[in-house]
Amino acid sequence: MIRIGENLNVMVKKIGVAMMERNPKPIQDLAMAEAKAGVDYIDINLGPARKEGGALMAWVVQTVQEVVDTPLYLDTINIEAIEAGLKVYQNKKGKAVINSIMARPESMESKFPLAQKYNAGLVALLWGPAGLPRDASERGVLAAELMQKATEFGIPNEDVWIDPIVTPVTSPQSQVQVPSCVEFMMMFQDFQEMAPGLKSTCGLSNVSNGAPEHLRPILNQTYMMMLERYGMVGAIVDAFDEELKAFAAGNRPDLRDLVFRTMDGEDVDPGTLTKEQVNYIKTTKVLMGNILYSDSWLEL
Amino acid sequence: MPFAIPKTIYTGKIKEVVLGRGPKAITVGGETSYPFHLFEGEMPHPPRIALEVYDTPPDNWAEAALEPYRDVIGDPVAWAKKAAEVYGADLIALQLISTDPNGLNAPSDQATETAKKVAAAVEIPVIVNGSGSPDKDAELLRKVAEACDGMNLVISPVVEENYKQIGAGAIAYKHTVAANSPIDINLAKQLNILLGNLGVPDRQVIVDPTTGGLGYGIEYTYSVMERDRMAALTQQDERLQFPIICNMAKEVWKTKEAKAKTEDAPLLGDAARRGIIMEAMTATLLLLAGADVLVMRHPEAVRLVREMIKDFSA
Repeated sequence: MIRIGENLNVMVKKIGVAMMERNPKPIQDLAMAEAKAGVDYIDINLGPARKEGGALMAWVVQTVQEVVDTPLYLDTINIEAIEAGLKVYQNKKGKAVINSIMARPESMESKFPLAQKYNAGLVALLWGPAGLPRDASERGVLAAELMQKATEFGIPNEDVWIDPIVTPVTSPQSQVQVPSCVEFMMMFQDFQEMAPGLKSTCGLSNVSNGAPEHLRPILNQTYMMMLERYGMVGAIVDAFDEELKAFAAGNRPDLRDLVFRTMDGEDVDPGTLTKEQVNYIKTTKVLMGNILYSDSWLEL
Repeated sequence: MPFAIPKTIYTGKIKEVVLGRGPKAITVGGETSYPFHLFEGEMPHPPRIALEVYDTPPDNWAEAALEPYRDVIGDPVAWAKKAAEVYGADLIALQLISTDPNGLNAPSDQATETAKKVAAAVEIPVIVNGSGSPDKDAELLRKVAEACDGMNLVISPVVEENYKQIGAGAIAYKHTVAANSPIDINLAKQLNILLGNLGVPDRQVIVDPTTGGLGYGIEYTYSVMERDRMAALTQQDERLQFPIICNMAKEVWKTKEAKAKTEDAPLLGDAARRGIIMEAMTATLLLLAGADVLVMRHPEAVRLVREMIKDFSA
């Protein structure tokens, strides 16, 4: 699993202040720490970056690239900021990736040309003119639109990262939305046949947004295994979550096996299992929409 | 090939809960299908209707709502008797509104005394509602539980902030709790789990999902109740298999459509008729979503809804 570090975010107070004051040290320290933690990409999240976003992105990209070779995700809705970042970006160990292009006309018309001009990758976010897609099929339609546009602009398949949009398991629509992301990934394999090399990514930790802090890891880990099963190759994650890193590296085949068997509808006999294993089965059932989420799902 | 009507496969059943005591005690719940899907399952106990009684004269009520109770306003015991004997309420829903810290802030002991008198005056089951202030209700409803030991009241609302105090009272003095969550299916389930963990027996729990009035968010309540029943009946979600109560009257009658006088809003038509129909419509929607107990206000709205229940059950 390709890990994209989410930590360099304007919303993190220390980083936001450093960006505002153009103080390179906290930003470079964090970038180096993320690189040391072995992330494959570093996401630079400027948020909306309305005021002078261009100058800020150019400065952050240069500041980060002074100390690390890790390729970057440029994460903002400000198009000027994206372009300013791409302009100064140096391809050391991989292309920059635009995060993100939505399946809406204004987003596609303005950002695909940038990807083409600067030879950058792009996250194709399955967010359409009507907002969040309601199910897997609507996700499929948006993915097809984005892929067609990418082809029109001559973007190679391997530079397109489809993001099916992970939603919180605690949200009202979760029993439909959370499983439909997984369902879409089953379709994704067909897309990959049509467009070999096509990639995928997701804001993984959003699945556990709103859940009690100490229970977020098991939701993130389980969902990652479920999505990965059908070809999810990337995830934007906490760079310093060592446990998740171990899962991303495929170090828990025993749990993965149980998760997959549960996804296939097998009723695994809990009598022979450890508490930890049972917890992953319960979590899989919640994330598949078979059991309605509640904060106490592991105690039932 | 003959056409076969598709049928939902149900795997769960709503628990049966007894409210009140003695010969007038009633049982709610027991459904094995979606509401009124009598071609698919059973609804052994019809939905029941509670009439509201206020512990202090309500201000700001619509004329139409006030009219049936004008002679008993200010006397909760007489009011309860009238609701039971004249208007045929299945239950009394006593609203201890005087205790509201943002209103009269009457002491809990005084309101407890009222609850005790009302509960003793009628044979039908009594729902005792606090003001909705979690702290005050924690104190008040505990006292009510103790003062009415063994009467199997419905103690309401019990929320995440006070379920431990009130739940303990319900266990000790054998009452049913109305587990109230803010129009959120996941939180509704969580509170049921917490009550179970505390030791409140399942036969003493009903669920209050929080009700919006017609035109004021009722679709959210509908959706939560619908999903509650889907999980309970088709996904064997044991922590959602509880009867549902909707404390709806206060939501309906506080809207401007229900309250505005005829002369102030001539385009909306006759005020009395309007409020009654708004109440009856709200009740009908909630019945279709799965309500087992409705807390209502106007006797004429109750009559309309009773007819509707009869038609749906035929």
